[in-house]
Amino acid sequence: MRRVCALNDLEPGEGLRIDDTSPPIAVFLTEEGTVHAIDDTCTHQDASLAAGWVEDCRVECPLHASAFSLLTGEADQPPARRPVRVHRAEVHDGEVWVEVSTAAPNLPPGVTLP
Amino acid sequence: MTASIPGSVLIVGAGLAGFQLAATLRRSGYDGEIEILGAEPHRPYDRPPLSKEFLTGTMSAHDLGLDDPGAPLQARWSLGAPAAALDPATLTVRTSTGATHRAEAVVLATGCTPRIPAGMGPAGADSVGGGAAGLPEGAFVLGCLDDAVALRQARVAGARVAVLGGGFIALEAAATAVARQAAEVTLVAPESLPLAGRIGAEAAHALRELHLRHGVRFAPPARVHGLSADAGGRLRAVRLQHADGARAELRADIAICGLGAAPTTGWLAGTGLAFDGAGRILCDAAGRTSLPGVWAAGDCANWEPSGPVPVPRPAGGHWQDAVDHATVIGAALLGSGPPALPPPYFWSEQHGVRLQAAGHLIGHPRLSAGGIETADLLLVYELDGQETGILGMDRPREVTRWRRGRARRPAVVAA
Ligand SMILES: Cc1cc2nc3c(=O)[nH]c(=O)nc-3n(C[C@H](O)[C@H](O)[C@H](O)COP(=O)(O)OP(=O)(O)OC[C@H]3O[C@@H](n4cnc5c(N)ncnc54)[C@H](O)[C@@H]3O)c2cc1C
Ligand code: FES
Repeated sequence: MRRVCALNDLEPGEGLRIDDTSPPIAVFLTEEGTVHAIDDTCTHQDASLAAGWVEDCRVECPLHASAFSLLTGEADQPPARRPVRVHRAEVHDGEVWVEVSTAAPNLPPGVTLP
Repeated sequence: MTASIPGSVLIVGAGLAGFQLAATLRRSGYDGEIEILGAEPHRPYDRPPLSKEFLTGTMSAHDLGLDDPGAPLQARWSLGAPAAALDPATLTVRTSTGATHRAEAVVLATGCTPRIPAGMGPAGADSVGGGAAGLPEGAFVLGCLDDAVALRQARVAGARVAVLGGGFIALEAAATAVARQAAEVTLVAPESLPLAGRIGAEAAHALRELHLRHGVRFAPPARVHGLSADAGGRLRAVRLQHADGARAELRADIAICGLGAAPTTGWLAGTGLAFDGAGRILCDAAGRTSLPGVWAAGDCANWEPSGPVPVPRPAGGHWQDAVDHATVIGAALLGSGPPALPPPYFWSEQHGVRLQAAGHLIGHPRLSAGGIETADLLLVYELDGQETGILGMDRPREVTRWRRGRARRPAVVAA
């Protein structure tokens, strides 16, 4: 596990993009107080899910209509078809720790790892 | 299920609205028969990339598919033959091959068909899956996958490209022609400031400046009067008529027609359906047409305005409306009080800048952040002290907050 940010860096209902992982991940604090981490890049096109709308433990992509479950990573409707990876996230002493999934990321067409 | 729920649904048009309606019904647990008729041979695919990522090669035809190959939609498909007639009394649809299809509810979702310059192609006819018929070699439209495949195969690099029209698809096509290294890209539109009527002068000005910075030229305002071809049938020039009546020619190797699109409803003439002046099928605020058991969704439909700002939506149509229509009709077919149609939302992408607009772009736009030179403006539209809409360039977070803070996502109902 690695520390990605402080709990204080997160705002309820908002996402924070963590850039020093590849691909970047998005960390969310829900209104209910739970913390989640998923891949930041939408699987449809190159959009940052950290800028999306969080509701009912899902994040809606800020560009098009797909919403991804923060628990399973599945997209609920087009245009995205493939899930994002979900990373295990835990909070210890006010710090957010994430275990990055070892699965291959579902990057959108045209986006490659550096 | 109650008796009012149709035991079978026939969807005419295997595009976005048609697919989304079938998917919504299945997600709600509907277990009746769903049959989908499509004019094109293709399974439903996503159209917005056809003027953008598909042309530049970033997305493939496979990437455009709407269905999930891992969990395909449970429906009966009848693809490759357009519906040619509807008998409203028996809710029976006949296709061009003479086959008949019948159900307890019929949903019309045939989208729209690109307009082509005057004097070209089959006048007045609905032409689907091959809108370029009748155009000289080197002239293209962008309505369906086959159109985009043809343009993608054309040698745009080094060519003189004329883009005809001043709508979103025209501006996107101009941007992709630049990305594909055309020698010259000239936009020909009747308006001096394309899209000003749709998004307001400020935002239209910002887009024009963006295109100018990327080398797109704007011809003096003119209407397309026709296309000239050489003896071999290859495009030679675009014939123009300027506002003062003067005629001119613009030499071009490639012409991309973005002259708007007409609803694909010609085949429904004589059925008793009510249409608006643009040829869209008139519907109530839940998608019911004037004929019992017949519904209409997406670009071919004009729904009665509803909601806090009951403003009619312009013809042409956008992606989100097709999806929202499908969600509302799905709920109404299943007998639950249908949700209200969410406020409009659309996006575009030009020269790598994402434009998004939510709500109604009426009243006075106020610059809330960013600027024209930096192509990152955020405009909030106000009428009588009320915020009616928002438009952002590369402002996904702000536009999403504004939009979702006012209208939540409609939930899927259970059958
Ligand atoms: C090139 C392009 C770029 C676009 N870009 C954007 C964008 O960036 N943002 C945005 O918001 N919107 C965009 N749109 C608009 C968006 O794609 C449409 O609003 C949306 O697809 C409408 O869905 P629909 O189901 O009504 O029609 P469609 O998706 O067009 O589907 C209609 C289907 O019906 C079929 N059909 C037609 N006639 C018949 C018949 N008689 N019988 C059987 N089938 C028939 C057609 O073949 C087609 O498959 C774009 C459209 C195009 C063409
Ligand atoms: S970029 Fe996320 S749904 Fe399109």
